[in-house]
Amino acid sequence: MNTINKNKLWSDMKSKYSIYFVLAALFVISWLANENFVSVENLSNISTQIAVGTILAFGQTILIISGMLDLSSGSVLALAGVLSISVYKMTGSLIIAFAVAIITGVICNILNGLMVTKFKTPPFIATLAMMTMARGAALMYTNGQNIYQIGDYVKFGQGKIMGVPTPVIFMAVILILTWYILKHTVFGRSIYAIGGNEEAANASGISVNKIKMKAFIFNGILVGIAGVLFMSRVNGAMPNGAIGYEFKALTAAVIGGTSFTGGLGTASGTLAGAFIVGFLDNIMVLVGVNSYLQQIVRGAIIALAVIYDIWAKTKRTKRKHDLK
Amino acid sequence: MKKWLVIALIVSLMASLLTGCSQPAPAAQDGAKAPEASGEKDVYRVAYIARAQADSFAAWLANAVIEEAAKYDNIKLDVFDGQANDDTENGLIENAITNKYDVIIVQPNNGEAQRPYVEKAVAAGIKVITTNARISGIEGASSVDADPYAQAAVNAVVAISQIPQNANVVVLKGPPGNFHADARRDSWQKEFFDKRTDVKIVGEEIANWNKDEAMNYMETWVQANDKIDAIIAMNDNMAAGALEVIKDNPKFKDILSYGVDGTAEAVLLIEQGLMTSTSLQSAYDLATALMDTTNKLVTGAEKQIDIDIDCPLINKDNVQQYIEMHKKAGAIK
Repeated sequence: MNTINKNKLWSDMKSKYSIYFVLAALFVISWLANENFVSVENLSNISTQIAVGTILAFGQTILIISGMLDLSSGSVLALAGVLSISVYKMTGSLIIAFAVAIITGVICNILNGLMVTKFKTPPFIATLAMMTMARGAALMYTNGQNIYQIGDYVKFGQGKIMGVPTPVIFMAVILILTWYILKHTVFGRSIYAIGGNEEAANASGISVNKIKMKAFIFNGILVGIAGVLFMSRVNGAMPNGAIGYEFKALTAAVIGGTSFTGGLGTASGTLAGAFIVGFLDNIMVLVGVNSYLQQIVRGAIIALAVIYDIWAKTKRTKRKHDLK
Repeated sequence: MKKWLVIALIVSLMASLLTGCSQPAPAAQDGAKAPEASGEKDVYRVAYIARAQADSFAAWLANAVIEEAAKYDNIKLDVFDGQANDDTENGLIENAITNKYDVIIVQPNNGEAQRPYVEKAVAAGIKVITTNARISGIEGASSVDADPYAQAAVNAVVAISQIPQNANVVVLKGPPGNFHADARRDSWQKEFFDKRTDVKIVGEEIANWNKDEAMNYMETWVQANDKIDAIIAMNDNMAAGALEVIKDNPKFKDILSYGVDGTAEAVLLIEQGLMTSTSLQSAYDLATALMDTTNKLVTGAEKQIDIDIDCPLINKDNVQQYIEMHKKAGAIK
């Protein structure tokens, strides 16, 4: 392979996999900063801590690729979680409780989808409205109080299977599912097409509204699962829990290369984005960075990661045009 | 068509104006005084402006105030939600002034942000009570509060003899700039850390009163430190979050932990021997004091009152009575 081809290959890899280079660099820097960072238990903790946000982020990824987003996921998670625990305390059935969480997530997202597709409400506004309604419903249902003594329900979020925490297993399964949907299904290809150019997708015979509804329903299932994991991890139904989690999810998706302009994004990129934030949060606590400084550093690293990713992709696109 | 609609609208507006102007004042019934003229009323309208009903303590307090107000025939209570937003809360205070409430009870989101609006209410002749946390130094306003310094101090004082020599401790703080969060941390500093200089703080973070944030920090601290002897949290939620992480870890079976609030979860943890102590910030006592103060102010029994409710220490020796308190209130089933 001659030098020009080697350089081209290296440049292509850099631009396509830029976010993974950032992740790797952060891993190495964190390792050097504190030896406890690379312990199995610490890495397991990080994975568990980011699991709920990352599951939400997979749903956001699908929505953002198709040109939408969801500001209600934290609130719907809370509603799904409190209803699920409440049903568990009434019935004693973990299966029914789990189903209730998913049904709640799906119903809220069907409403989001109807607002967007039938009434042409911008997704930002529709999901902003749902964010307020869902949180209000969770608070009204519980009268603003937490529900404790949830018994075996904690196993969802605090259990382990063959030494692997259950939230991590859920995250891994959903990662594979999201990746498969995006890469290997007609639905996935339609998502990219709609996000890339909705009119062209419509003209080519894609049922845009149907695909958008399916995207919201998929998101709803993931939000319901996240609700179960969050509440079981904190050992209680908290109607004011997970405030701001929609922004965690958006952050992971965007850092991972999902573009707000639509048509771009991957499940693995989102996972990388979530780990970048997770590594950052973890290493700053391990080395004892001041709380206020943590916020500044977090924001700066996020901005740099995204700027580098966009720069690398822009360079790659420019090279492609030059070659033509 | 449009022209006729506009004309109809203008005519109806003018008609309503003219009708309002010509309305005679309601005639007083024979032998009865118009209540406004004498200053006495059968029912006094009270606006309770909560900091944020999404905050579980604020919600507990609001619910307790509603229950307590129902016991008074001469009080009609309306509750408003400040949504943890200064602009929203200030707007609600202004609305309550405009709507001529007899009493406005303000649970501030940020005392200094609400101060000018509380002063406005006092200047408008409305009786004002600030609570949880009080806004000090407003002439003419009353207050009902629990002293956050004392709430932390009752734990800090016993911790002096409980926490072992050369201990490693972790500290979980509330939101920065929050009066209660800052006062409690100040109390721990003065009543404990300044006196026990052998104790080392191996981790200190802001967990914003939240259980999940506290859990994440504790998970990381457990990785970074071989030994943690005590968890010092500025509220029970955060203490419970930290304890959740280590509850099944035999290495931490003797860990000490301190909180504030006396929540249902905390008292259960103390009963189980998992938490050392907390101090009660009883929303029930606050509500009782608030409504009693309101009644005294509206009936003229008092012109201005400042009350601090107690903050008793809850530990394994006396936890049962507080479990019963929460059972009676339905928080523990």
